[in-house]
Parts: sequence; structure tokens; C-alpha cells
Amino acid sequence: MRIAVAVACLALASCASMEPPKPWEKGNLARPDMQFDYDRLDTRTQQHIYTSKEAATGGYGVGGGGCGCN
Amino acid sequence: MAWAEVVVDVTRVERPRERRGDALLLSALALPGVVPSVAAQSVPDKGIFEAQYLSYRDWQPGRNRMTVNAPAFYALMPVGDTWVVEGGMVYDSMSGASPLYFNVLSGASIGDYRTAGDIKVTKYIGNQAVSVGTFVSSEQDFLSRGASFNVQYFSDDRNRTWLLGVAGTNDRINATNGVAPNSRRNSIEFVAGITQALSPNDIVQSNLTYYTGHGYYSDPYKPLDTRPSQRQTWAWLTRYNHYFVEQDATLKLGYRLLLDSFGSTSNALDVAWVQGLPWYGISVTPALRFYTQTAAGFYKNPPFPTGYVDGDNYSADTRLASFGAITAGVTVAAPLWDGWNVSLRADYYRQDPDWQVFGTGSPGIQIFAARWLQVNLSKNF
Amino acid sequence: MAGEHEIHVAGADADVARTAADAAIADVARIEAKYSRYRDDSVISRVNAAAGHGAVDIDGETHALLRYADQCHAQSDGLFDITSGVLRRAWNFRLEPPRVPSSEELAPLLDLIAWRDVEWSERSLRLPRAGMEIDFGGIGKEYAADRAATILMERGVRHGFVNLGGDIRALGPQPDGAPWRVGIRHPRAQEVAVAGFDLVDGALATSGDYERYFDLEGRRYCHILDPRSGMPVTHWQSVSVVAPLCVVAGSCATIAMLRGAGAPAFLDAQGVAWLGVAADGTIYRPPAG
Repeated sequence: MRIAVAVACLALASCASMEPPKPWEKGNLARPDMQFDYDRLDTRTQQHIYTSKEAATGGYGVGGGGCGCN
Repeated sequence: MAWAEVVVDVTRVERPRERRGDALLLSALALPGVVPSVAAQSVPDKGIFEAQYLSYRDWQPGRNRMTVNAPAFYALMPVGDTWVVEGGMVYDSMSGASPLYFNVLSGASIGDYRTAGDIKVTKYIGNQAVSVGTFVSSEQDFLSRGASFNVQYFSDDRNRTWLLGVAGTNDRINATNGVAPNSRRNSIEFVAGITQALSPNDIVQSNLTYYTGHGYYSDPYKPLDTRPSQRQTWAWLTRYNHYFVEQDATLKLGYRLLLDSFGSTSNALDVAWVQGLPWYGISVTPALRFYTQTAAGFYKNPPFPTGYVDGDNYSADTRLASFGAITAGVTVAAPLWDGWNVSLRADYYRQDPDWQVFGTGSPGIQIFAARWLQVNLSKNF
Repeated sequence: MAGEHEIHVAGADADVARTAADAAIADVARIEAKYSRYRDDSVISRVNAAAGHGAVDIDGETHALLRYADQCHAQSDGLFDITSGVLRRAWNFRLEPPRVPSSEELAPLLDLIAWRDVEWSERSLRLPRAGMEIDFGGIGKEYAADRAATILMERGVRHGFVNLGGDIRALGPQPDGAPWRVGIRHPRAQEVAVAGFDLVDGALATSGDYERYFDLEGRRYCHILDPRSGMPVTHWQSVSVVAPLCVVAGSCATIAMLRGAGAPAFLDAQGVAWLGVAADGTIYRPPAG
């Protein structure tokens, strides 16, 4: 819980001087590394590994399919 | 009432804010490809093909345990101006033993294969994208099938995206040791989320996922393992990316809080730094993941079968114990000729009950470690 | 498309730059071929050949360009009309000696300039009368410049600009952070710059009476023709516009030339930066701030 608050504060603190981008200012947001789940295979693989070794599963998108690893 | 004399300085009258100006600009922005587009907000010009090979190995101190070698494929294709079709397949071949209890029972040895595939079709209509998908995962003793439905809604300036999604899954378990034959479970999952571009170099996403399922959740290969026949989880995932223009680097942060009706609470924090190098378009990404989980309510510490009460839920599965885990990894990616890209990834993972920072780790479980290597080849065409 | 073309990339790895530039150049060539009047298999040629007959199938890209052309027609009160290319049949700027067409020659052509009568939908385009013509002059090259710049940006180029025949779209400052300093050609002394603009990620386009013209008896006749009279505009020697997109800069510059004295009010209403050289050589710029 403490971590959640810390991350939220970090995000909000830098919010003060931010202006949402105009459509022609999205060059950097279009970079693959600036997008979420640009590499779908990678996200799926990492989450599948953690699902099979930890109790927690999910949160990264619905509809991925289960496996017999609880 | 007397009217005060008002002097208007006519040379400083402001130009009216109401402009016809935006009409041309808005119409121009509707032309394809005139501004960079964030993927998934519009039908891409090009398709993607991706092939990956994963080599995974885990072990507990002193012994090799499980190895998985898994090729996987993914492809995305635009169809016409408003449709996108994507699909993937993964083929896991696993061998080795599952993690040992800290007791005299020897671990079962697994030689198993898993094939999984999924297809998703998305239609873009104005400011919305609607996706329908289906997926299947098949192993010798386990079959999972399901379907998903997602709706994304984009704001006019495309700086905000709303997501609503639902997926239903049906699992059928037929353990090779004959325990609980023909068991099933059904589940449904809902997600609601928002993605917001905060500035030309900042973007944040937050998703809330609710999962509810009923049916057979026990592990048939672990003796006496009896888990509740219902499960609900809440997961809250927030991710944030920031691009540092001068350094040509991206900071990626992610945090997921997950509350499980089985009793476990987990926190996962991901930090990655994507650093572009000035040669050949290569990038290097060191990454860290910090994870903690508290034990499930019905988890009992070793020695087995301490704490077992006939008729109550029980599990000695160390995956439900209380522990912390850290992953340290690095990825190196580079563009090749002709639109091909290659990346290599190496990760090292370690689970340790002493690393549970929000309470006490479960006593008596051994440290678990794993490493995986991943090579990835992709092409935009 | 006339004029020199240049893709200028700075501060990037040579291989990344070359791959990105190749992709951008390929797209410019694709657009040139797709909308060229000189190729029989282009969309434009097929549509023009079918004028007065059937409809031609079009794709999403062509439809979006038609929508934009429609918006330009509305914003210019009908002066910007992509069916006005028929006037080329009366005006030949390469004739020696040059001649001004008579009103009898122009009248039948003026009847064929009728954007409002063009039948267009998401999937099809039809010119209702034989002899009508459509072309994307004033939009096509600028559109290609925006697309080329976007292709470069999407491939990781952070510093550079695209220059297609004087229509420029920047995609990031110079590697040291300084803007690109773009000079405006003097309309009567083209090796001299009359003024300059600083570009970081916007676009600059210029429309002028010196691209295709002839001078006769001390009067200049240029290729920008008023669709109501069929005669060239005379109020400005050139107008340059800075806007976030090159298509917007280009159409604003052309509409400004067509509007003549009404250009400053129009450009200010559009909220764009601009510079105009009037017929007598006086330079006009909106006041700073």
C-alpha cells in the first residue's frame, strides 16, 4: 500500500508542469518503448512465468487463456 | 444609478477567440499518416510478425528442477481500413520436477507439453475500437477455452483512452494420476481502465480487473490439497512511461496490487530503463521487478502435513506461501535490415521468504531461483 | 511534383537514417504515382477519364483527401476548388510568345469548375460532366511531406526536416536543440531570402506567383487562377504560412493568394503565423504577440 501511494505521488508531483500533447507532438509517445504492451509476446511470456510461480495472476488484460499451473 | 464613463482603448481589442481555424487543422489530422500515431489507436499501415524462443530453467538449491523450451509466434494484420486481425501461438515443452516441499516426499517429475493459441479481431469505428477474441490452451491434463470482448473509447484528441473488457473462461482438468477426474472451473473477468497522455513525453495507464470463478481450484498432484471452490481477485495495475529527450531513454514504471479471496495480498513493482545507444539503433534495457505476496489463508507451513484438518481447505504448495521475489534482467534490442528487429533478453529470478517486507515470510521453504533467456525476432511489413 | 526534394536527417545513426529515409522516399513516390496526372493508371487519371460516365472506386486515403479538399473549399468560400485544373487548357505558361486567353475561351472552362457538383462518398468518386477534371495540386505534395516526416519520426529520427519543392515539415530541432532557420525566397530575386522562420516541429509552405508565370506588358500572369474569373490573382507576390501540418500550411498559403486583400483576416482567423509579399514588394507580417 505504501508503494502505491509513493508511485501516485511521484506521478502527481511531475504533473504540475504538464500539458497534454497536441496531435503533432506525439512523436515520442509513438515510440515502441513508450507504449504499453507494444511487444505482446513479451508481456504474455513474462506474466505466464510469474503466474506459474506465484499466487497472483492477472491484471494485464483479459482474455489471455489459462494454464494448468494455478 | 449613474453610468460610469468607460473608456475603451480601441487599439487593444482582443481578437475573437472563436476561430474557424480549427476546421482545416481537424480535417487535416484525419488524413492518414500525417502525425505519428500511437499503436492501437488506429488501424496500422503495416502488419507485424513476431517469433520468440524462450529457454527457462528453475532450481532449488543444489538441484536442477524444471526446464521449459517454448517457441511462440504472433502476427497482426490490418484488413482494409477499419479491421485488424491478430493471433498468437505458443508451444511449451516442459520437463523436470516441480518445486519440492521441504520434506521427504520426492517431487513429481513432469514431461509435459502445452499448446496455446488465440485470435482477436478488432474493428475501428470513429473514436472506438471493439475487439472480440477467443483463446485455447491445451495440455495433457488441462484444457482451457474462453472468449473475450473489449471496447476502447478514444477522446477526440486521442490523449485519453477508456477501456472496458470482459472475458469468460472454461477450464477442464483431468489429472494423469486420476485425482478428481473431469473437474471443471468457470470464471469471468472484467477490466476497466484508462490511459492518459500527460505530455509529449509522459503517459500513464491504470486498470482495475475483477476476476470471479468457481469450480475446481485444488492441485491434483499435491496430496491433500483442497482449495476453496470459489475465487475472486481484485487487481489494480498502474503503469507510467517517461521519455527523457536529452538522454534518449525511457523510464518505465509499473505497480500492481492484487487482493485474492484465497487470502493472499501481493505487490509487484516493475522498473525498467530503456537506453538508446548511439550506434546502429541498439537499445539496452536493464529491468528490476520487486514482488511480495502474503500466504493464502489455507496455506500451511512444512513439515507436511502439519495443520491438515479433514474437511477444511489445505495446501502445502509453496507457491501460496509468504515470500518476496526479485527479478533482475536486461534486454538488448537492435534493428536489422529490411524492417527486421531482434532482441535478446536474460532474466534471473529469486524467491526468498526473507524478502517479504510487508510481514513475515513463511518459514521452512527453500529459496527458489530461475533464469530465462528469450530471443525475439520481429518484422513490420 | 515540381521542385527539388530533400530529406534532411541529423544526429542519427547512419544506418537508422538511411532505412528511415528510404521508407519515407518510397512513400513520397507512392503518393506521386497514385495521384499523378501524367500516369494513366493513377487514381486521378482514372477519375478524370470517367468524367461524365461512371463512378470510380476509391480507398480511405483518397476519401480523406477529398474531405480535406472539401474543407478547403468551405474555408475559402469556394475559391480553393480542386476542379479548377481545367483552366490549364486555356493557360499555357510556356508559350512563346505568351498570350492571355480570351473570355470566350475561359467561359466554357469556368462551367466545368464545380466542386459542389462532384459526387463523392467513402468508396466512390464521380465527376458528373464530361470534361471535368480533378487534381490534388496544392494538397498532394504537402500531404506527402507530412507523411514522410511522420515515417521518419516513427523510425526514431528526432532531428531533421522534409523539403518537397519548398514545402517543409520539420520533425525536431537541430541536434544541439536550435531550430531550423528557414528562409523565404524573395519572389523577384530567388537567390535572396526576404525573411526567415524558425521551425522546430511545424511546417512552412509558400505559395507564390513565380512558380509558373509569364510577364506581358509589365503585368504578371501566374498559375494561381481565380475560379470565378479564370484570371490569375494579383494581390500578392507570395504568401508563406507556418502551421503544425504541411497540408494546412500549404492550403492556407494557396487560399491566402486567392483571397487577395482578404488574406490577413483569413490567416489570422486560422491562427497561423504568416508572411506575405504584396504586389508592390511590401512585406506584411502579423504583429508579434
